[in-house]
Amino acid sequence: MGKEMKFSVMSLTLFFFLSIALSGCLGAREINDLEIVIGMGVDKEKDSEDILLTAQVVKVDAAGGGSGNSSDGGGSKAFWNVSSKGSSIFDAVREMTHKTGNRLFISHNQAVIFGNDLAAEGLQDYIDFFLRAHEMRPTALILIAEKKASDLMDAKSETEKYPAMNIAKFVENYGYTSHFYKVNMKDFASCLMSGTTAPLVPLLSIVEEKEGKDIYVSGMVAIKNGKMVGKLNHDEVRGVLWVLDKVESGVITVSSPNEQGKAVLEIIKAKSKVKPELKDGKIVMNIKIKEESSLSEQTTTENLANDKALKKLQENSAEVIRQEIMAAFDKSRDLKADFFRFGEMLHKKYHKEWKALKDKWDEIYPTIELKIEIDTKIIKTDLLNKPVSPSD
Amino acid sequence: MSIEKGKISNQQLLFLVAGFVLGSVLLVDFTVGITEHQTWMVILAGLAITAPVILSYVVLAKKFPGMNLVQINDMVYGRFLGKVISIYYIFFFSMTLSFNIRDVGELYITFLMQDTPFIFFLIVFTATCAYAVSKGIEVLARVSHLFVVSGLFVIVSAFTLLIDQMDFSNFLPFFELPFIRIFQGIHIVSVIPYGETVVFLMIMGCLNKTDHAVKKTFSGLLIGAVSLLIVAVRNTAVLGRTQTIWTSTSFQSIRLINIGTVLTRMDFLIGIAQTILIFFKCSLFFYALVVALSQLFGLKSYLPLVLPLAGIEVIIAATVFQSPVDHAMITLNAGIIYSAPLIFVFPPLSLLIAKIRGLPKLERGKGI
Amino acid sequence: MFGYILKKIRYLSLKNKYMLQNTQPGENNSEPISPVLEINLEAIKSILHESSDVTIHEFNFGHERKNRGALIFINSITDKEEIHKNILQPLMYDVLLLKNAVGMDFNDIDTIRKNLISMTDNKKVAMLNDLLDSLLAGAAILLINGSKEALAIKSVKIKSRSIEEPGTEAVVRGPREGFVENVNENIALIRRKIKDTDLCVEKYVIGEKSKTDVCIVYLKSVANPKVIEEIRIRLKRIKTEAILESGYIEQFIEDCPYSVFPTVSNSEKPDKVAAKILEGRVAILVDGTPFVLVVPMVFIESFQSVEDYYARPFFASVIRIIRFLSYIISTLGPAIYVALTVFHQELIPTQLLISIAEGREKVPFPAILEAFLMLFAFDLLREAGVRLPKPVGQTVGIVGALVLGEASVQAGLISPIMVIVVSATAIASFAVPAQTDSGTVLRYIYLVLAGIAGGFGVIMGLLATLLHLASLRSFGTPYLWPIVPLDTAGLKDVFIRMPLWTLSKRPKAITWDSYDSYNQSPDLMPSPYNKDNNDPK
Repeated sequence: MGKEMKFSVMSLTLFFFLSIALSGCLGAREINDLEIVIGMGVDKEKDSEDILLTAQVVKVDAAGGGSGNSSDGGGSKAFWNVSSKGSSIFDAVREMTHKTGNRLFISHNQAVIFGNDLAAEGLQDYIDFFLRAHEMRPTALILIAEKKASDLMDAKSETEKYPAMNIAKFVENYGYTSHFYKVNMKDFASCLMSGTTAPLVPLLSIVEEKEGKDIYVSGMVAIKNGKMVGKLNHDEVRGVLWVLDKVESGVITVSSPNEQGKAVLEIIKAKSKVKPELKDGKIVMNIKIKEESSLSEQTTTENLANDKALKKLQENSAEVIRQEIMAAFDKSRDLKADFFRFGEMLHKKYHKEWKALKDKWDEIYPTIELKIEIDTKIIKTDLLNKPVSPSD
Repeated sequence: MSIEKGKISNQQLLFLVAGFVLGSVLLVDFTVGITEHQTWMVILAGLAITAPVILSYVVLAKKFPGMNLVQINDMVYGRFLGKVISIYYIFFFSMTLSFNIRDVGELYITFLMQDTPFIFFLIVFTATCAYAVSKGIEVLARVSHLFVVSGLFVIVSAFTLLIDQMDFSNFLPFFELPFIRIFQGIHIVSVIPYGETVVFLMIMGCLNKTDHAVKKTFSGLLIGAVSLLIVAVRNTAVLGRTQTIWTSTSFQSIRLINIGTVLTRMDFLIGIAQTILIFFKCSLFFYALVVALSQLFGLKSYLPLVLPLAGIEVIIAATVFQSPVDHAMITLNAGIIYSAPLIFVFPPLSLLIAKIRGLPKLERGKGI
Repeated sequence: MFGYILKKIRYLSLKNKYMLQNTQPGENNSEPISPVLEINLEAIKSILHESSDVTIHEFNFGHERKNRGALIFINSITDKEEIHKNILQPLMYDVLLLKNAVGMDFNDIDTIRKNLISMTDNKKVAMLNDLLDSLLAGAAILLINGSKEALAIKSVKIKSRSIEEPGTEAVVRGPREGFVENVNENIALIRRKIKDTDLCVEKYVIGEKSKTDVCIVYLKSVANPKVIEEIRIRLKRIKTEAILESGYIEQFIEDCPYSVFPTVSNSEKPDKVAAKILEGRVAILVDGTPFVLVVPMVFIESFQSVEDYYARPFFASVIRIIRFLSYIISTLGPAIYVALTVFHQELIPTQLLISIAEGREKVPFPAILEAFLMLFAFDLLREAGVRLPKPVGQTVGIVGALVLGEASVQAGLISPIMVIVVSATAIASFAVPAQTDSGTVLRYIYLVLAGIAGGFGVIMGLLATLLHLASLRSFGTPYLWPIVPLDTAGLKDVFIRMPLWTLSKRPKAITWDSYDSYNQSPDLMPSPYNKDNNDPK
């Protein structure tokens, strides 16, 4: 016992000193020495092969100052947008240390925004760093700017101190409308790897207000073979999301049964199932959608809370959903971009036949036929049983 | 006379085996590059194929109670040939140990502490293993259930936290890959987590009773295999197609945890779990290595060998490969070939020869 | 090679110790008592160096005052009144009342003892050193001219503290009594809890100079005889000058002196010690201290409080889990903070990271140094607060909290989050009193490890600690029982405290019984009255 004890104590001490002596400084970095990056924008530099990287860095002393007095001063910004040029992203990141002094710390990067020019030319070559760098997390969002990414970085929200955090917040909460959805680095990479799928990426636009710039998501961009090929508006995107089973909530506006006003339905639950069918070289996608909604608003005095009216509303909303899907599908046919992921679905079910289909997917894709089956239900009418109307 | 005087119970054997197999969680990543979304099958098939071989280990240990592998070899193959085979085993233990030590270093250098010198992890980790080994197998066996429980806890909780991000259609199509790749995967899996249990031939001699050894060994093996399965299923379901591109699949899937933007950044979970599980595995290998070597030299105690061997292992681990790519290539190609005879051929052969020569009875009367 | 050198050093030191023992006086005095009174008195006077508090009273007694005797006692530790009343008076006056005294030989010590001395605690001594031992332990020595033996009559007068609530182990619910400095009184306190014939008390006198009474108390039918034998051997091994507190005994008999973890537990509360004796443990009582040692100790014991068993199980379980958490916080708190903020910033949620960065903006020190400064300040305050008189001690606390905490944050020397971390650590460290010492040491070790190697260092430190704990034993009982080795029956009273009526078996690791040892009937689950009795009609 005593012998073992001595032995182990000795070995530990020996190794302890040896390891410290051999390794010297062990790579500690104090928080003070970090430039915490919360957002990054990548743009194409005009008339050159270089890219322009803009990083949003947290300005630590202005951010809160401990007592919180400075936040209502309003004068100074809580962030600092640094930009630098480089032939590659990593080159630009390291180049940036000339300006910041400290190394950039990008573990807390919330979003990567690509400029329009870059997206049109191709993202494939620039995505690698954001997946490979050990500090990057696969949950970082990927977004595309309508114009230049660097313009978006200083649009300040009134409630959120950091623009990048604000963007991340509203992208994270896409479920209220389902007019777009969040795409992170891992999802994007997964789509690029499939070969046939054309990923959609949210598109950020700027609107000029009296008090400054506001950012909003104006739709999504379809990327094919790493290049931006087209733009989808809100309704079209929801058409895609119905099929991909990604609709969380949102608003469906339909005309009321007597066609005099509108009824507004809120989606409560949506579920979809797609079954691909391959028959004699013909591809049919059977889409089954189950949707439940509530009556949230109406603009007529007609009483909608009865079987007949609700049934009509259900039919109307099914029609709206069908139209959304068809609009999206038409768009995808035009662009020859498979953002419905039909290719993957086929692959999973018919992997033997898929090998032949894969190579001429662009030609086959427009010939796909959709069979849509929609089952809608209105399950509640919220606080009112009857509309506000003069009683008869 | 055996060197180790400590005794372990059957229950502890169960946890030792389970913990040992769990120690290979990181190595699920190795096969993912080859077997992609069919990794889960490979893990099950590997178990099925290796089961008879592992049975032969246990039967062999029961036949020669209180003896370790080196003693068995001496007895079965005679002094000279037995020694040669034992040296082969010692080489295998030493190599596997240094590969595993390197795995820990690579895990930290890639994911958790990029700016720290590589050699530091190797030295500190090996030192801690040496400390464990110097405490003896009894202590390791007694704490084994803690390692298994904490490993399982992390694996299960990570699975639960990721359940909302899982897409089980990622497992489709079921049989897509060419059979040669599946076969390669099965070969790797049957050698690396399962076949390496040959190391227990150095440990099972310490069993106080061998009555339920078979049952307990296989229960432990099953616990380990199920955990590996959970990990493989989680990785495939969460990462889908991208699982083949990452250096550590498990790490990336844990990094995706995001429950209400509160439970995020849970990397430490997998960091802790993998460190302690590989630590457990390395300690067992280290133990086997020192005991085998001191048995070979006829030493009375293995303690004097622990420190020098720890130094040697660190040096091997630090110099044997250039990069993780190199590491993966050699382990997947050369590693599993040279170790195959040790795992699949010698133990069953020993059993056969022992049966033919009616060995243990004869020797027991003389030896003890 | 190092091992060899260490062995040599240890051997040399051991040798020196034995040499010291051999030169000690004491053995020379073992000569028989002479029948001549004067010789004895001279010898005693010279040995005691004519100390001023030694009273030597020579007197004549017997019917004709022909017998000569002497009474020797140390007046500072003996009860003079009792001596006068029960020794001198019977010898000198009451003897005259004896009717047939003529036939009695008053030079024979046995005659006097049987007929005249009205005190029970007396014994004959024949050797001079036995005589001196008794004298120093508080006996009055009666020497009779012409007798080869002397009578040592115990008549100790010790001012004992009254029984009070112990300062270190206050309870909300439970007995308010605590041990005192007198070992006999302490045994009485235990006897009052366990009125059983099985309760054994064994006395040892340890210390060349202090001659301290050390008693071991156990239940013969429950305690493991091997443990008792082991304690006897270890106690007999102790050859030292003085035992001033039970801590001396603890350090001489513990299993692993190099460990930061205590393997001998101590308590000031009779109910706690009685409970442990009932479980099969052995208590070691040392005269002169209220702290009673109990062995074997297991780690989990530190997290169990007597109140856990007096409160109902639900609350007790919650509190116990909190105690475990607080031990983790108190040992790992600063280490985890340093590891996270210096090495693993990617693991901190973004908002929190920004807050921490704001707090640290002006701090000129590295986080590890900051943590060290704060912990040092905390330990300083604690030490100063304990040592100072109570009113001043409070001031120290206030000054420390206000000046050191508030001002250093204001001045930007320390970040506010570090203050929170260290104060949480400090509070947590008091929740498990039995492990406060080990917690403090471990806290610094883990902090250093975290500063050197971040999370990796902490994990390696934890693994080493676990292995060390798993290999520890206290008098044969595995220290981490019932977790290591796993004993599912023992787990009933670890992280949660199961209801009392389910805890019907004694801990296996303590009693070492191959069969189950029951302390209560296993079907004690309370249930309402018999239905027949409960009938309203």
